[in-house]
Amino acid sequence: MGRSIDPEKISKAFATLDAHDYGDVIQCMRCGTCLPTCPTYRTDGIETQSPRGRMAMIRAVIDGRLPASEEFIEHMYHCLDCRNCQSVCPAGVKVGELVLEARHRIEENRPQPRLKRLLLHHLIRDQRGMSRLLTPLRWLQAARVPSLARKYGILKLISEDLEFMEALLPPLPARPLSETIPEEIPARGVVKGRVGFFLGCAMNLIFAEVSRATVDVLSGAGYTLIIPKGQQCCGAPNIAEGERKTCREMAEHNMRLFAERDVDTIVTDCAACGSELKGYRELFRSRSGLAGMSEQFSGKTQDISEFLSAALGPDAVFRPMDEVVCFHDPCHSRHAQKVLRQPRELLRRIPGVVFQDLPDEGQCCGSAGVYNITHRERSMKILEAKVAAIGRTGARRVITSNPGCLMQLQYARMRWRQDWTVSHITEFLREALEGGEIARSTFS
Amino acid sequence: MEHNTLRKLQELLGRGKVLASEAELLCYSYDATPRVSHRPDAVVRAFSEEDIRVALEFAAAEGLPVTARGSGTGLSGGSTPVKGGIVLLTTAMDRILEIDADDLSVTVEPGAITARLHAAVEEKGLFYPPDPASMKISTIGGNVAENSGGLRGLKYGITGDYVMALDTFLVDGSKVHYGTKCVKDVAGYNLTKLLVGSEGTLGIFSKITLKLIPKPQSKITFLALYDDVLDAARTVSAIISRKIIPSTLELMDSVTINCVEDYVGIGLPRDVAALLLIEADGHQEVVREEAAGIEQACKANRVRTLRVASDAAESEKLFTARRNALSALARLKPTTILEDVTVPRPAIPEMMAAVRETAQKFGLTIGTFGHAGDGNLHPTCPTDERDADEMRKVEEAFDVIFRKAISLGGTISGEHGTGVTKSKYLPHMIGPKAIEVMRRVKSAFDPEGRLNPGKIFLEDSP
Ligand SMILES: Cc1cc2nc3c(=O)[nH]c(=O)nc-3n(C[C@H](O)[C@H](O)[C@H](O)COP(=O)(O)OP(=O)(O)OC[C@H]3O[C@@H](n4cnc5c(N)ncnc54)[C@H](O)[C@@H]3O)c2cc1C
Ligand code: SF4
Ligand code: SF4
Repeated sequence: MGRSIDPEKISKAFATLDAHDYGDVIQCMRCGTCLPTCPTYRTDGIETQSPRGRMAMIRAVIDGRLPASEEFIEHMYHCLDCRNCQSVCPAGVKVGELVLEARHRIEENRPQPRLKRLLLHHLIRDQRGMSRLLTPLRWLQAARVPSLARKYGILKLISEDLEFMEALLPPLPARPLSETIPEEIPARGVVKGRVGFFLGCAMNLIFAEVSRATVDVLSGAGYTLIIPKGQQCCGAPNIAEGERKTCREMAEHNMRLFAERDVDTIVTDCAACGSELKGYRELFRSRSGLAGMSEQFSGKTQDISEFLSAALGPDAVFRPMDEVVCFHDPCHSRHAQKVLRQPRELLRRIPGVVFQDLPDEGQCCGSAGVYNITHRERSMKILEAKVAAIGRTGARRVITSNPGCLMQLQYARMRWRQDWTVSHITEFLREALEGGEIARSTFS
Repeated sequence: MEHNTLRKLQELLGRGKVLASEAELLCYSYDATPRVSHRPDAVVRAFSEEDIRVALEFAAAEGLPVTARGSGTGLSGGSTPVKGGIVLLTTAMDRILEIDADDLSVTVEPGAITARLHAAVEEKGLFYPPDPASMKISTIGGNVAENSGGLRGLKYGITGDYVMALDTFLVDGSKVHYGTKCVKDVAGYNLTKLLVGSEGTLGIFSKITLKLIPKPQSKITFLALYDDVLDAARTVSAIISRKIIPSTLELMDSVTINCVEDYVGIGLPRDVAALLLIEADGHQEVVREEAAGIEQACKANRVRTLRVASDAAESEKLFTARRNALSALARLKPTTILEDVTVPRPAIPEMMAAVRETAQKFGLTIGTFGHAGDGNLHPTCPTDERDADEMRKVEEAFDVIFRKAISLGGTISGEHGTGVTKSKYLPHMIGPKAIEVMRRVKSAFDPEGRLNPGKIFLEDSP
């Protein structure tokens, strides 16, 4: 850490958690229902790594029974924010969200390292700038350096983190999708409506090809896509790090971009973005100027499966896909957005598909934003359990709908030499719809 | 704990097994009991019997109290270390050691989670009936120490009825094995029976052998809805007096139903005054006969509607709803005070009426649910511990309720144990002579009073 903190200053910030939030905190009746669902309690087996423990720590800081020490701060960052606990807590305690609130109060009251400030206040606003940062990586990948480096363990010599990150990243697209995608893509066939498409950094910069599948499925289903230029990050990385100011600015920017366009729905193929965009209404609740706009924006936002399960009408023709598949729920769709039924319904509609329930459904894969980098050892334990669960289904394809999960599962497949592949749900749907009414997009 | 003492303990056990940071001590200061919290000086995570022995010997040498802890779902403060010292965590000892399908028993380590044990034995066509509502979280060690009941207690009995043998560490670190897998065993005093329900005050279990029975062939689940809670209460004794023992006979009143429905949303009607969840199981013929009797009993007591669960999934949903009753009530207000009064079954209507009147008199919301078939009710008061005035009223109200239960020939705790929260009622309940005998038993096992001190007895001088 190195940066000195002032526990008293942080404690004071906790003392002002207003009555409502504090009510949430003491709402925890310590029943322990959340214990067996929490991934970190499962790996570590101790109370400090449980939702109940996290609530107890936050409450003790509020009450002045525990100093807001380095140790406490570390504990606030052990949480994956997967919100599995929130799905099961009978008393309605929002542990994951309260941990984020705690991080916010911590970060507001301790010095921020320059690099973090640069990233979260400036770089993150600019997709093009972020893409430029990835350029050296693209060159390395093009020159096949990674496979050589992997072979000789060169990156490991520099740093294990670097080696891990290199293994995690799939081949990068030459250009981010935002650079090539037009602002409007017409619907094919009978026009059913107009949807705004929110790109999201990870999909845009890393999984541009996947988002093309999303575009194809949406336009093929009869929707005109509106993709406003100049979209910024949804703000999820900022919230995870306790930053709110830039997050609000980006949120406002995004809301205005879409408000100017006439769209019925705003769709995203990234679970983390979906959850964040739907959370704008909370972010601006007490800000009279933007409360109405954020209410509208969040109300219009839908996760891709949520939208498609209704939008792909009975007329959609799927070709048979003789495959055994399972679905890995991204935590931010299942637990944060309660999107659970829709992807299953979609997959079950495809003839030939054998859909297998994943044991321990709803467990995180350990990706969790940058958790797999910041807490790699635990993340890998969580991932190992996921791999074992997938193994028990006999699935040959694991389907999911979030860039972090895609990377993490693809990494798992290589590391443990699994015989399944990983797809985003729209990639799979496009395959199943091809031959029917869907053709691939031609913009480049 | 002094730095040196702590270091010694860490050297003996290995660093990873000793937790002692500020946050860690805080996180082992509570269980599921409201308003009870005591910090230990150190937490030992036992991975083996050897770890238990080392910790106990160390505590003996240092004169430290030792409090065993499972998953910390106790509702009487049992695993909170009232006098500090060491919390001995047995959750990491969670192996199912042997399922003896031929002689119908299972041997487990104390940290095995109850629901995991259910799944493991049911896979082999066997059945371990005790199913506390906390079964997905609680440990077998905790179940034995609290002699926990469950939704199937009425017909199948409670945890203690299934314990055949125990390996128990005594306070000095020595180990005693008592019991066999034999169906009959009367060798000397029955130490197993004595240790069951001892709340960690007599010894620490390291290995537990439990009796299993064959899995019942068929079952039927009823949901009976009532417009008056007293009719539901009368139905309970009406069923029993027809000489029918359902496997489950659970009650929820309207306050509880509404909270549960808010949480699970399975379409429980919100305008009823009470519901009974009734299950009969066994041989098909028997189930059919009992079902007819249950139907009669419900109808004779003005049931509004009586529904049969269409399949196992629906039945499981109803059971899950019931298991969530307590935690769902916790939604209403920040603090949830839950009680555990038990009365003879014919007295249930009178007890229910008394709870209702008391709530009215003190101006409190009290939701009642519970194992009605066992006469075991959980009047639960959602309140706010920041409101001192209301807290006083809650205490007074429960005082009235306890006294009523005792006057009806009942008990202050059906299944959650005495712990710290009930110790002040115990003398009133069992009388001075029984207390004295219990104290003598305690000091025979634990002369220095170092095992889970501050529990059961008001002041713990042995
Ligand atoms: C939502 C909810 C529902 C519940 N429903 C029920 C119910 O239906 N029926 C019921 O009876 N109870 C119920 N309980 C209470 C509680 O779950 C039980 O008492 C349970 O048996 C406690 O198990 P545990 O592993 O959490 O033990 P803990 O709470 O950790 O400990 C309980 C006691 O056991 C002792 N102990 C633990 N391990 C050992 C060991 N290895 N050796 C010796 N002593 C040990 C502790 O010292 C303590 O005194 C419920 C609790 C909650 C929160
Ligand atoms: S967070 Fe919810 S589930 Fe977990 S202990 Fe608290 S009340 Fe129970
Ligand atoms: S959000 Fe996930 S990691 Fe965090 S406490 Fe809840 S279940 Fe555990």
